[in-house]
Parts: sequence; C-alpha cells; structure tokens
Amino acid sequence: MPDQEKLVVMVTHGPDEPELATIPFAMAGAAVASDVDVVMGFQGNGCLLVKKGVAETVAAPEFAPLGDLLSTIHELGGQLLVCSPCIKSRGLSEDDLVDGAEIVAAARFVAEITSATSTLVY
Amino acid sequence: MSQMQIQETQALDARGLLCPMPVIKTAKAMKELAPGEVLKLTATDRGSIADIPAWAESTGNEVIEWHEEGDAIVFFLRKGA
Repeated sequence: MPDQEKLVVMVTHGPDEPELATIPFAMAGAAVASDVDVVMGFQGNGCLLVKKGVAETVAAPEFAPLGDLLSTIHELGGQLLVCSPCIKSRGLSEDDLVDGAEIVAAARFVAEITSATSTLVY
Repeated sequence: MSQMQIQETQALDARGLLCPMPVIKTAKAMKELAPGEVLKLTATDRGSIADIPAWAESTGNEVIEWHEEGDAIVFFLRKGA
C-alpha cells in the first residue's frame, strides 16, 4: 500500500450556488469513503456553508443533500478548516460555526496543501 | 450478464440515495464485515455503475458480480483482506 493519501478540497462558492457548493462535498464524501484523508477548506462565500443551520438548506439536483454530506464527512474524520478573515468580514465567529469547524489562516491552508496528495479548488 | 447464486453476509438498501451516498453507505457497511464476507448492495443512482467498481478497486475490495433489476443496480461485493 502507498503512503496514506490526503485530499484538500477548497470551497469558495456559497449557498446561492447550490451545485458548485455541493460538488466539493460530494468529492470529499467519496474520498473519506475511500479511506483518503480529507481536509476541506472554506474561503469567501464558502464559509457560509459551515455556518450553523445553513448546510441543511442547500440541495443541488441529483446530489445528496449538502447537510447530509457535511455531517458524514465530519463523522468519518474529514477536517473542516475555515478562513479567519472570511468569517470576520461576514460578521461570524466560532460560535456561529458547525461542530468540528476550525478557524485557520493562510499559512495553515498552505501547509495542508503542500502536504496533500492532491488539491481540488471549487 | 448471467446471475450467479451468491450468498450475501449483509444487505444494504441504497435505493433513492444520490451521489455520493451509495459509496459512503457501502464503505460504512463494509467496515462491519470480516475479510471474505459479502455485501449485497442495491442502488438506483446510475452513477453507482461506475462508482462502486472504482471505489472497490481503490479500497482493496472486489465486485464479484453486478446486474440490473428493473430500475435498480445490484452489486455483490467481497471484503478484501
């Protein structure tokens, strides 16, 4: 077996674009199901998807509901990293985010990406 | 495709689930099995036809057989070592 694979999935689209918001969760979900370590990074309007109560309101046709995917990814060990300036500029704090979401800044994203097998940016 | 008589250890009904939940549910169900045991998966997501074999190959499991039953796709998956 090769070394443990790690996929970073960057999410920049918010709930106003359900398909582009959901596809990264579908990819991350398939990855955790395939025993790949997953780190999801939320920047820009993507941060809104990990605000409490928002994911459950997003659904794209022919994809599993975003709320189900988010809870499954977290349950299966996927990390949820959220851009600090992006949430501050939207008036959000850590208390507004779903369980498991971790507020980070640029250097942490860089560290995750440079140590990953692959990175997807949506 | 001819249908063999395969005795499953467990069955998973993933009918109605959309991408990528059939793969995620399959992965969870397979974790409960011992090596060599067989999961019967029934799904209606057409993407499963490509997704389940790809998942099996990347995780060291085996698709023993699959076929269509009406709108559903039935897979028999053997857990790898």
